[in-house]
This record gives sequence, C-alpha cells and structure tokens, in this order.
Amino acid sequence: MRHLPVTSRRIGVIAIGLALAGGAVACGPKSGSDAKAGADATPHQGGTLYVLNNQAQEDFDPARLYTSGGGNIPSLVYRTLTTRNRADGAAGTKVVPDLATDTGEPSKDATVWTYHLKDGLKYQDGTPITTADIKYDIERSFAPELSGGAPYLRDWLVGAADYQGPYKDPKGLSAIETPDAKTIVFHLNKPEGEFPLLATQTSFAPVPKAKDTGTKYAEHPVSSGPYEVVSNENNGEHIVLKRNPNWSATTDGQRKAYPDTIDVQSGIDQAVINQRLSAGVGKDADAVTTDTNLGPAELAKVSGDKSLAGRVGTGHFGYTDYIAFNPKVKPFDNIKVREAIAYAVNRTTVINAQGGSSLNEAATTFLPQQAAFGYTPYDPFPAGADGNPAKAKELLKEAGYPNGLTVTLTHDVTKGDEQGPEVATALQEALKVAGITVKLDGQEHNAYSDKIHNVQSEPGFFLAGWGADWPSGGPFLGPIFDGRQIVKGGDNFNNAQLDDPSVNNEIDAINKITDLKAAAVRWGALDKKIGEQAVTVPLYHPVYKRLYGKDIRNVVISDWTGVLDVSQVAVK
Amino acid sequence: MPPAPPSGARQIWRRLRGRPAALTGGVVIVLLVLIAAGAPLLAAIEGQDTTSYHPGLVDSASGGVPLGHFGGISGSHWLGVEPGTGRDLFARLVYGARVSLGVAIGATILQVLIGVAFGLAAGLGSRWVDSLLSRVTDVFVVMPALILAIALLAVVPGSFPRPVLLTLVLGFLAWGGFAKIVRAQVLTQKSLDYVAASRLAGSSPWRTARRELLPALVAPVLTYAAITLPTNIVSEAGLSFLGIGVTPPTPSWGQMLSSATTWYQADSSYVLLPAVLLFVTVLAFTVFADGIRTALDPRAASRLRVGTRAGRRGAGTADSAATPADAASGIPGPADPRGGGAA
Repeated sequence: MRHLPVTSRRIGVIAIGLALAGGAVACGPKSGSDAKAGADATPHQGGTLYVLNNQAQEDFDPARLYTSGGGNIPSLVYRTLTTRNRADGAAGTKVVPDLATDTGEPSKDATVWTYHLKDGLKYQDGTPITTADIKYDIERSFAPELSGGAPYLRDWLVGAADYQGPYKDPKGLSAIETPDAKTIVFHLNKPEGEFPLLATQTSFAPVPKAKDTGTKYAEHPVSSGPYEVVSNENNGEHIVLKRNPNWSATTDGQRKAYPDTIDVQSGIDQAVINQRLSAGVGKDADAVTTDTNLGPAELAKVSGDKSLAGRVGTGHFGYTDYIAFNPKVKPFDNIKVREAIAYAVNRTTVINAQGGSSLNEAATTFLPQQAAFGYTPYDPFPAGADGNPAKAKELLKEAGYPNGLTVTLTHDVTKGDEQGPEVATALQEALKVAGITVKLDGQEHNAYSDKIHNVQSEPGFFLAGWGADWPSGGPFLGPIFDGRQIVKGGDNFNNAQLDDPSVNNEIDAINKITDLKAAAVRWGALDKKIGEQAVTVPLYHPVYKRLYGKDIRNVVISDWTGVLDVSQVAVK
Repeated sequence: MPPAPPSGARQIWRRLRGRPAALTGGVVIVLLVLIAAGAPLLAAIEGQDTTSYHPGLVDSASGGVPLGHFGGISGSHWLGVEPGTGRDLFARLVYGARVSLGVAIGATILQVLIGVAFGLAAGLGSRWVDSLLSRVTDVFVVMPALILAIALLAVVPGSFPRPVLLTLVLGFLAWGGFAKIVRAQVLTQKSLDYVAASRLAGSSPWRTARRELLPALVAPVLTYAAITLPTNIVSEAGLSFLGIGVTPPTPSWGQMLSSATTWYQADSSYVLLPAVLLFVTVLAFTVFADGIRTALDPRAASRLRVGTRAGRRGAGTADSAATPADAASGIPGPADPRGGGAA
C-alpha cells in the first residue's frame, strides 16, 4: 500500500493546479443558467471543438495515464471495462459499464472479479477488441519504461508486487485470466469492494499487442473510443482527434461525441485562457477548458457581467483542505490544544482568503459533501462560521495554557495555493483573537511537500489537502488515517501518524463490502469517529468555476470530476 | 550661520534652492519619511490596523471584491479595503512605507560603508592589495545581484527577521559601484599636493584618509548614494513582488502590488494605490538625486551661480536664465523640467 497515498495525492495536486485560477459566480442560480444553455439549444453533430488548456496531456499512453474515472480527453480515445456515469452532479459519481456488460461480478468475499465484454466492440481499424488486449495493457502498466499509472493493481493483484511488465516477462500476470476472448477474471489478494471504480482507469483499456510500439505508442495509439488520434505533438502539447468510424454509439451509452474534430491546445497561460473564453472571438466561441478555473478576481469580473455569468460551469470534485496536526510534536499531543484550535478557526475569513463563498464551501467533515463518499454531516467542535474564541480560550485554560500559547504554522509560500500564505494569514488572525499567537513558517512549494510528507521532518501544525482517485470513502480515509499506511522514509500521508486498531479494522471490514451504498454509510460513520479525535481540522471544500465558449452546448459536469465532460459537449 | 566651506551644506542648499524639481522631490521624501515614521499614529487616527480582517466589507460570493465604490472607500477606511480579506489599505500602505524606505535606506548605508572601505583600502593600499580588492569589487559589480538575492532569500530560514535580511542581502550584494568611485577618487586625490604634503608631514595612511581624503569623497559618494537609493526601493519591491521579500502579514508595497495584479479589472484602485506610491517615491528620490548631483558638480556649480545671479538681476526665473549659460558652457544640462513660469 506504500504507493497508494502518492497516487491519491497526485490527483490532489492536479486538482490544486486547476483550482489555482479558480473564481466563481453564486452557486445555485448559475448552475440553473448552465442547464438552460444546454436545454434550449439542442446539440447536433459536427464542427470542431477547441480545448484550451494550461497543462499538456503528457504520456498519452493508457498504461501511463494517471486518471480519475478514465480522464477527460483520454476517455475520448480509450474505452475501459467500466467508466464514470456521464451525468450532472451526484448521478455522475456512479460507476457504469463501458466495454463490459456490467460493473463486474464479485466472488463472495470480493477477491475475484469477472467481466464479460459487449458484442460488436471494434478498434479504429475494425479489428475486434478482446479481453487479452485489456490484460496486455494492464501488464504494460507494470513495465518500468511505461511508468506513471496508478499503483493500486500492484498492491491488489495476486503475485503482482514484483512484476516487471510484458517486455521483460512475457509470461504475463497469472492473477488475470482470459478464458475466452470476451471474459476476463481478476484475482485479488484481499477483498476490494471498490474494484469496479478502479476499472475505470485507462490501464483497463485494450491495447492490441501487434500494434504496441512501447514508449512510442502514445503518438499513435489504437483507439477504442469515439475519436482517433490524428496527431500528438510535443508529448501532448497539441493533440488533434477526429471521429473514429468504427466506434458505434450502440455499444457506448456514455459518450455523445457530437463534434467531428477535437483540437486540444496546451501550454496557454491560465489568465489568457480565461480572457479568450470570455471574449469568445472566432474559434474561441467553440472552446472549453478542462484544467483552468476562474480565479477570485476573474470571478468578480464575471459576476458583474450577465452574459459571462451564464457561461460559467460549476463543479464539485471531492476534495478537502484541512489543518493537519502531528501529535508527536508538543503541544499538539494535547487534544485540548487541538480542540481549542478547532474552535478558534474562522472559516469565513479562510474562505474569503481563498476567493470567497462561490469558490469554497465550509467543511467540518473530512469527507467531501457528496453521498458517494459517504458524507455524513457532523461537527464535533461546533463554533459556527466565524469561530468561537471564548470556547477556545476555555479549552486552552484546561490544557494548562491560561495565558495563551505561541505555536508555529507551517505553510506553502506559493501565492494563491490552497496551502498558501493567504490561508495561513487568515488562520493567524483568527487564532490571535483566541489568545494563540501563530508564527508563520512559509516554505518553498517542493520543500514544503517534502517536509510535511516525511515523518522525520513533519511539523506539528500545517496545512494540507486531499482528493481521491474515485468518489468513495476508501481512497479518502485510508491513506490519511490507516495506521498501516504510515510510511517511514517519505511519501507519508497519515499526517497524524494515527495507528488506531479499531480504525484499521473498520477499514478492512468496509473494503469487503461490494454494495457501494452500504459501504458509503460505514465510511461516513468512520469519518465521524475519527473527526472526534481532532487530528485534523477540516477547513473547506473547493468549488470549480469554469468559463466555456459562447457556442458550447450540452454542458455536463459530474461530481466525480467537477469538470465539464468533453465527451458530452457540442458546438452546433 | 558661520561662513560655509566651499562645498558645505549651506552651499548645497543654496544651489538646490534654485531647482524646484529637486526641491519638490525633497519635500515628497520628507513627507514619506514622516509617514513611515508616523505609521502607527496615522493608523490610530484612522482607527484601523494592518492585520484585522473585515469579512463584512467584501462580497464573498463574487470572489471577495470589496463592497462599495473605489475598492470600498469610506469614512472608516480612507483608501478602501483589500479584496478577500477586507484588511484596511490605508494602514497597510503607511506601514508598507516603513518596509520600503527602511530597507532601502538601510541597504544604501550598508553599501556606502562597504564600498568606501573597499575603495579606500584599494586606493591607498599597495599594488598587490589594490589588484586583489579591485578584482573582488569587479566580481560584485558584474554579479547579477537580484538573481543572487532571490537565491539567498529562498534558502535563509523563515525565522530570520525578513526586513533585516532584505537589508543585509541588498547591502552586501550591490556595493561595487561605491568602491569603484571611491577608489578612482582616492587615486586622483592621492597625487595632489595637499595629500602629498600631509604624508610628508608624517601622517599615517589612516590619518591621511580620514583628514584629507574622506572630505573630498563626500560629494561623489553622496551623489551616488542618492542615485542608488531608488534602485534599492525598486529591488525591495521586486523581491516582495516575487514573494520572497517580507513575509505576511507584514505589509509591503511590492507584496501588495503582487497580490493586486490579478485584480486590475475587478478592483483597479487596489492596484493603483501601491503602484502610484511606488512611482512617486522612486521619482522623488531620482529627481532629488539629480538635484544633488548637479549641486555638487563643480562644473555645474559655476553655471548655477551665473544662473542665480542672472535670475536676480533680470525679470526671468533662475531656471530660465540658466538656459543660455548652459548653452554657453557647452555642457549638457540636467534633464529637469524648465518650468519658466513656475516662479
């Protein structure tokens, strides 16, 4: 499980990158206008959709891509065993079949998962898709030369821990069986009720062995989705996709594929992307972005302009920004001190420092506010939106600090970052009112990340954030609170170094549950139980606000990704 | 007042008096210094401080833009509030002046001290000492000081007081110009009769330096310091702009400018305030430095005297009368505005 946290964190980092530019319009009414834009203009096939992005779509190889739910652009080219439901809001957190006929048949204890392929599935060249090709891509994802993908399978598949990929070890993985061209069976070394959610990732896409060109495969991959790659320049900086004639909507109920061509241009400054989308001149009217949010100032400008405000999509990606404590450092070993800080926190000023109430929602639970994660509302330290300094002072007195306390808050110096100086300064001011003097220790971005993720150097009181690879409580709570996931040498995400047998056992018990709804309820209860220990203070959940072009229709934003789904967008 | 020596303060003042641009610069500088020194008093009169958050004064749903006009200007917030936090901008600006001026003045003093010491030692020392010190000086002159400052500021732990660190870094990196000027001046003066006489009379090198050379260095060093000071202000603002200057919540103009850049469309007064202040400060120091330079320039001095007398004699102002003198002397005049009707 060593790698698991890294992966989840990386998704988090991507989310932060996206959120950096973030700004917003008032939530409720704006999503209404989004719906309107989609409804009264019926989407039609044809045209070219332009995607304006900041980050390049690097390593466009299904074995190397690290995606949540199969990704946005990748999902246009790669179909997977299962995929995310392409629907607005909470409905979009469901996992649905893609190449497979269902989301998987588990064995009784959820250690064996069996999938059958639909009929009539073809690659772009018309050859049939087989389960052997899916197995082959999974094996490729273990090859050191094709690194980058999610590490879960190495942990989960029987005997896969040291597998080096099909180039060095052509015998393949015995944990994956393909009894016939349409059946694939996975043998796991422990119960994993969330296997169908993992099967949305692009390592579960088919790659025909005969067409595999190793590290060059990303330039001309063989498409199983509605689009094929015309060109992929400079490692994903400019990708052009055209319609795949051998893809059929009859086998794919999820992707709408309205435009004939999709042109993905990256390396554009975030401010420029927002400026171009708001101006909407020429081709930019047919443009969207999949990685650039509106920033606070941009939101302020958009809010004052009705025509622009109607072109803002609002999304919720499951993410939590929080205060992390290391109880091994004094005085944070004292739960009363941690509770005092939890009471003193003023979420209003923290949220304002991060762009205001349209870009963030106050958090008192560690799990994001979505049923799929198991969200169960609770607030163990009810202090209201503005904090309760009087109660905090009382707790400090009980903790033995009647005259207040001086502590150091470690944060990232990157301006606008979710762990950045704006949040730290807002906390400093709020805690001052409660008699806690906060000294700020700002660290350079990479140094900060190294410092807080190493148990040797971890400070006592710092800022952190967490997002999950799929919408469930498992990848959200496990890496942060599972005592067996404490990593000694670095890449540790269990900030509190919490190793509570009752928590660990409950995590194991929930992983056995294959009914995701039932599991969600248990995750919610576990979150509440951990929350009472005050080893973290949840601050806020970011909200994504993104502009799209004037002629864009059928905007669908799921709570899985929080981002407009490119497979649903039409330009005509 | 006792009769002033040829290059004394009184003479400088007399020469400066005839230059309205330099005088205006000087007045602005005095005002800025008063503002910086009186920051706590000014903030107290307004009834605000630099760190208090006012969430009620910003529109949280619209990205945190200040409520009201011109960035939320009101009777209790004279220059409005900061977007997002609602912190008082007047208080932050006047306190920011302390950082800008304090660091710049401190760094300039440090540069003068180091530069004069190196220049004197190089000019008076043996050939060997001179070439060694001159090479060291060359290294500091050609070194990209700002880039090195960025590197230094990034590695020093955050617990070190930031304004002091900024002063030290700027001071220790950019003294090369002073050393070069001082060395050149010492080499010229050294060969003059009065210095030789002092040496022949048995003065030690130290005494010679102190009694005979230092007074001759005042004019060039003062001039160069006046020119360097605005450069230091800009450097401090630049480093704070890059996020490696003073740390929050200490306000600084560069830092405010940096936070304000994204707001230029939504809340333009937030950008304008630190930008205009920085501009005015640098302009004031530059104009004043130019005045000092001209006032201390022996060649310009003669022109000035002619001009002044001409001004008294004729109906025109000192400045307008100085123009023909400039032309006659053949030396290009300083580029200050010649507002003929200003007087």
